[in-house]
Amino acid sequence: MRKHLLPLSAIVLVLGARDLHAQTRAVSGVVKGSDGATIPGATVLVKGTSLGTSTNADGRFDIQVPASANTLVISYVGYTSQEARIGDGKLNITLEANSTSLDEAVVVGYGTQSRRELTGSVATVSGKEIANTPVQSFDQALQGRAAGVNITTPNGVLNNPPVIRIRGANSIALSSSPLFVIDGIPTYSGNNSAVGSVPNNPLANIAPEDIDNIEVLKDASATAIYGSRANGGVILVTTKRGKKGQARLSYDAWAGVTRPVRLYEVLGAADYVNLKNEAVRNLNENRRRATGTVGTNIEGFGQVAANAADTRWYDYIYRTGFSNNHNLNFSGGTDKTTYLASVGYSNQKGMLVRNDFRRYSARVNVEHKLFDRLTLGARVNYSNSLNSSPNSGSVGDGAFGTAGLGRLPLVLPPNIAPFNADGTYNTNGAGIGAGPNINPGTGAPLLPGYYNPLVDLENNYFTSESNQIQGALYADLEVVKGLHLRTQYGIDNLNFEDKSYFTSLAGDGFSTGGSASDYYRTNKRWNWQNTAQYDLSAGEHNFSVLGGTEQQYTDVQRWGATRTQVADPFFTTFQGNYLNIAASGNAQGANYLVSFFGRFTYNYARKYLFTATGRRDGYSAWFNKFGNFYGLSAGYVVSEEGFWKNSNFAQAFDFLKFSGSFGTTGNNQGIDDFVSLPLYNSFLYGSSSTFYYTQAANPNIGWEKSKKTDASVAFGFLQSRLTGDATFYYNLVDGLILNVPQAPSRGIPGNSIPANVGSMRNKGFEFNLRYDVLRDKAFNWTVSGNLTTLDNRVLSLLFDGQQIPGSTSGLETANYTTVGRPIGSILAVQNAGINPANGQRMLVKADGTLVQYNHLGTSGAGSTGWTVVSTGANTPAPTQLADGVFYGPVLPTFYGGLDNTFRFKGFDLGIFLQYSGGNYIYNGTKAGLHDQRFWNNATDIKNRWTADNTNAEWPRLVYGDNVSNGSNIIMSQNVEKGDFIRLRNVSLGYTFPSKTISGLKLSNARVYVQVQNAALITKYSGIDPEISVNGGSNLAPGVDRNSIGQARTFTGGLNVSF
Amino acid sequence: MKSAFRTRVFTAVVTATLGLGTFSCQNDLLNVKPNTQLDGGLAFDTPSRVLAQVNGLYSYVKVGSFLGGRYQIYGDIRANDFINRQNNGVTGLLVWNHTLAETSSNDVTSVWGAAYAAINQVNVFLAGLDTNAGKFGASPFPSGYASTVAGYRAEARLLRALCYYSLLQLYARPYIDGNGSRPGLPLRLQAEFGLGNNDLARSTVGQVYDQILLDLNAAEQGLPASQGGNNVIRAHRNTAIALKTRVYLTMGRYSDVITEANKIVPTSAPYVAANGGVANGLNSSITAVFAPPQETTESILSFPFTAQDTPGTQNQLAFYYLPSALGGGGEYSLNTAAGGILANPGFLSTDVRRTSLVAAVGNERFLTKYPTGTPFTDKAPVIRYSEVMLSLAEALVRTNGAADTRALALLNAVRTRSNSTAYTAFTSSSDFIDAILLERRIEFLGEGIRNIDLMRLNATIPGKGSVGDVSPSNPLYVWPIPSTELSANTLMTRN
Repeated sequence: MRKHLLPLSAIVLVLGARDLHAQTRAVSGVVKGSDGATIPGATVLVKGTSLGTSTNADGRFDIQVPASANTLVISYVGYTSQEARIGDGKLNITLEANSTSLDEAVVVGYGTQSRRELTGSVATVSGKEIANTPVQSFDQALQGRAAGVNITTPNGVLNNPPVIRIRGANSIALSSSPLFVIDGIPTYSGNNSAVGSVPNNPLANIAPEDIDNIEVLKDASATAIYGSRANGGVILVTTKRGKKGQARLSYDAWAGVTRPVRLYEVLGAADYVNLKNEAVRNLNENRRRATGTVGTNIEGFGQVAANAADTRWYDYIYRTGFSNNHNLNFSGGTDKTTYLASVGYSNQKGMLVRNDFRRYSARVNVEHKLFDRLTLGARVNYSNSLNSSPNSGSVGDGAFGTAGLGRLPLVLPPNIAPFNADGTYNTNGAGIGAGPNINPGTGAPLLPGYYNPLVDLENNYFTSESNQIQGALYADLEVVKGLHLRTQYGIDNLNFEDKSYFTSLAGDGFSTGGSASDYYRTNKRWNWQNTAQYDLSAGEHNFSVLGGTEQQYTDVQRWGATRTQVADPFFTTFQGNYLNIAASGNAQGANYLVSFFGRFTYNYARKYLFTATGRRDGYSAWFNKFGNFYGLSAGYVVSEEGFWKNSNFAQAFDFLKFSGSFGTTGNNQGIDDFVSLPLYNSFLYGSSSTFYYTQAANPNIGWEKSKKTDASVAFGFLQSRLTGDATFYYNLVDGLILNVPQAPSRGIPGNSIPANVGSMRNKGFEFNLRYDVLRDKAFNWTVSGNLTTLDNRVLSLLFDGQQIPGSTSGLETANYTTVGRPIGSILAVQNAGINPANGQRMLVKADGTLVQYNHLGTSGAGSTGWTVVSTGANTPAPTQLADGVFYGPVLPTFYGGLDNTFRFKGFDLGIFLQYSGGNYIYNGTKAGLHDQRFWNNATDIKNRWTADNTNAEWPRLVYGDNVSNGSNIIMSQNVEKGDFIRLRNVSLGYTFPSKTISGLKLSNARVYVQVQNAALITKYSGIDPEISVNGGSNLAPGVDRNSIGQARTFTGGLNVSF
Repeated sequence: MKSAFRTRVFTAVVTATLGLGTFSCQNDLLNVKPNTQLDGGLAFDTPSRVLAQVNGLYSYVKVGSFLGGRYQIYGDIRANDFINRQNNGVTGLLVWNHTLAETSSNDVTSVWGAAYAAINQVNVFLAGLDTNAGKFGASPFPSGYASTVAGYRAEARLLRALCYYSLLQLYARPYIDGNGSRPGLPLRLQAEFGLGNNDLARSTVGQVYDQILLDLNAAEQGLPASQGGNNVIRAHRNTAIALKTRVYLTMGRYSDVITEANKIVPTSAPYVAANGGVANGLNSSITAVFAPPQETTESILSFPFTAQDTPGTQNQLAFYYLPSALGGGGEYSLNTAAGGILANPGFLSTDVRRTSLVAAVGNERFLTKYPTGTPFTDKAPVIRYSEVMLSLAEALVRTNGAADTRALALLNAVRTRSNSTAYTAFTSSSDFIDAILLERRIEFLGEGIRNIDLMRLNATIPGKGSVGDVSPSNPLYVWPIPSTELSANTLMTRN
């Protein structure tokens, strides 16, 4: 059921009521939808007059019509209007659902508008499109659904927040994520967990089944009403409400399995031993050539036969996870009251062992008309979610961790067994035991230094549990006709308890003798909005004026402690006994936002459209508190012109609108609450307390401002069977806050000071097209798709030549942001392949010199392993900064989705494709997979250079060589294109005919099966082209380092209503 | 009618509420302040806050990534006495391997950053003492606080000197190479707060040493003779003197070494300072020196850790050297092959430093000088009295030749407390000096002195296992300047 446009229909009714003295004849009837359900609130007008009424809760209407009248026009938003001849009997009218979206009510900030009249850029995703998808938070399901909204899933860990970029990256140092507003109250998003291994996205506290629809505000006109928080766009979520007269109990459930896909092929034990020993032989040969004496390294792999194994580490780390999800809701309404109550339960198990997500949720949405003009309502959601995950190395800064499960199956020697013969864990100190391998250099057992993943998986745990109460009470008073005063007070209280436990047996807990940490965080927010809206129509002039204020106070506190040296392995919780305790994770923040805003919309005959929006925000973090934001937009609906309507093409080409907007928004998302204060922190020196200078204040810091320009055309053909729009956007972000890198020798805390110094622009086109290819009683086929292009450029930084590094886990820097290039471009030394003459990796220096690397194979003055290919002379190693070449952009330059829906009788088939491309990825995982330390390698390493295989893909193997593969220097060998098409979702459903199920008191029943992430077409050689090990980092996007990819999920489910 | 009245009342209430909501923009909320961090303007308001800042300076120098562990570790693992067991790039592999790059963040970038962060804390503190001098004459500051301030100032300058000295040993050519004329470090002496001032060229090695000596001389003047119960963990007059012996030795200014060392080393045993300050001296037992809490008078300066104030993950000395069987991480074992100190015939199997400070696990040998596993509360040593003695001995030999009996007595004093075999006499200065250097290598194994001893003589860094020698002409002989400095400081130059 579509939403109802209250203000307009109210006006119609009021006007109708005035002319009642002309009546002479009574007509009654009932209005139903094509699904057979009655439609309350449908407008019934006498054709050619303004006389009218609307249907009651049962879909019935009674109207007195003039004797001369012979036709009624029945309309309802979302349905094709119909005319009905007035006869003698009762009218039975069935409206066809109108699948065009032109008349939909679109939720905009603090109100609604119809899409037909909208001049701002707003994308709508209906709740149906995302319900029943096997995700934890609804934002994960938005991938590819809306033009201009690029969403990537950075890894396959459950409840990891997706990276959302609306029209490109909108910030460098702050958050580029949109503002999420749930039923009018801004909420929390992003990873809020205090424990690095386990992510927690608070948006998972909303059951996707509770969502009615989602609006994405993109341009200045739409977003300026959210002022200082809107640079990254705004995502408005409206939850379901009860509907008049339709008491209904619905139950949705699905269950499914999740499996890993596209895992790397790594060497088995036999190949591993052979290749590593070959590498040692080559190393000895290198030493002989360099020093004249034979190298003494031992071919130590697989030396101790007793410990030999052939372990496929994946088998211990990945699994088939079973999930199930249930949602029960009860809704209905009378003339005065509508209500909806729902409860949900979700239990999802990921493909990683012990990666589990569980949610309980409950929601009540009620609205009650206390008096004719006073409506009260409340919307409350409570949710408890618990996410647990082993250390995947894919979240936070874990990419290079020695415990990361994304990495361990790639590096661990396959000839080591996870268990000893006696069933105990194979460990040596914190790490895994040497197994049958001897260190070639020393003859001692070769200890990998990495952890035995089984110890972690079977003993440690990392959980993040959240309890969230989110709700608002509102009152709407219509003081005089068309003038609504509305007040809304909302709270959003979110508590987290994050826990970690490390066993003392081995792994991260070994050196601390076992440890347990517990962190408790409270996010408390109140938000109070007061608005006055006045709608007035005079003739063809339609005005709407909105004025309001909003205040929001957010208080965040976290405290925690880490206990170490467990008294006895019996204790596995924080409350057990330990020898030591130290405070950890303490944090405190508070911020306050006060705003004054207004919006004026005007249209003439729904033909000429105009909207002006302004907002003045004061924010506590700044020294200069206030900032102003505005948006202007105008539209021209050409198809409303008389000449158009009367033309002979109007039937075929029934809608055409031009619109454009301009304005500014701001960004403070992610700025530290106390950024403009000079601060001293306190800690310990031994047992004494300290104070030290911790923050260099910059009192001049303020909002990042974005100037957004939009031009758009929207159209409808064939009675809007074909609708679409095309938009050009240009978004100039000014006053970008940069953590201006300070020379480390200045000793500034953090080596950076934030300042508004940069600018960046994003521009591109967005296209939406929807075509009802076939509209037949029995067979229906709808295609809809969207495409967005993005051209991102950094226009200015602190100074022209500035290169801002973006590091991965602080250990590897592949990305540099510079003026004139897309943000976060990859800087890599150019690879020139393998020298067929000697099997050495060749790189190109900045001056064009071709150089090659021979690990420990050079000698003489200036020996670095690097020689000039043409002369053989020693040469300094190439460096990334001096010799690197830029590869960019790293953000996709085009992306979108293509949705096909087929209906045949009761069957429905949905095929949803998501695509993206034009971007580069730094595949650091590939570097690791070809490292010539003891690490295991990808099977393609077999195509390495040997005297017999001189035209090889990989260099001659030299033991210990971590340069030729790119572990030590970022080289273009590991930079790849990231284009892909993903079959994101395929679903096949069957809806039982109402005759079959009516005996069971069911009003609707559908069963379905679906596959999420069904297939992937890409040339990218890594696990998943969407991987982003640095999550939403603006400076280091597009890096694949030891992360786990996305799973494939098969589900089956049913939806029934009574 | 009743309902209409109620509506009117409600309208009034709502209108009033809206009005209130509009104009009650709350000023205190708009200026909300943190309650876990102190506003900078209040940092010098009480004596306890000023003292806490002094402690803060120490805490910066002793962070795990600098002199709280890693600096000492890097000083040893560059050379050939230790074997990397874990192949872990985070725990010094690149230092051990000599494969550092200017982007290597765990070592090249972090040591530089930690040292300069400490230097700026010192500079900010010194500037704050000047700016706030007016406050110190009145309550709550006690009378005579000026002399307390002078002591604090001296501690700050000593720590700054220690930071610059430590940086020079990794990032600049030795003083002996060009007599201090080679590129040194950007000499940051003013407090850095806001934007700007990124560009600063390198001073020469000699200029940096001049500043170090200026600071240490000033520190010697201003430091108290004793810090009471904190004599090991806070600087007193002897600390400045001891550090000067190290600095002069590193510069090859041997007569100055003698002058300084003479202030605290008597001409003959017992070797206990008798200058009216802390009675620093040679302890009779090396094991006592390293037995927790490592607070004998032999330790002139060490940095403390507690369960609440730990060195941090993968920074702890015991984590690197202590075998896992004894609670460490076993990152490095002692090199048992030829060239390693254990294979040196001068390191007798009966030497206490071998019998008590080295443990065997399987066929591997580990240093157990830092015996405490988690939470790793062993102090990180900076300078010990025995180092002053051996520095003095070396300076005497280099000045007076092999016949110097005081030098022999000093060497034997250190040696014979752990090893029954005393040296009788040396026929040549070079033999004598080799014996002193060997003694230093044995005595200070795992204390970060090895690198200093190699670099100050421009000696080749010996290789181990498959890792080759690094000669002074090799660009890898000194660490690269971090790329972060090069990119932000346009006057900075590469090594």
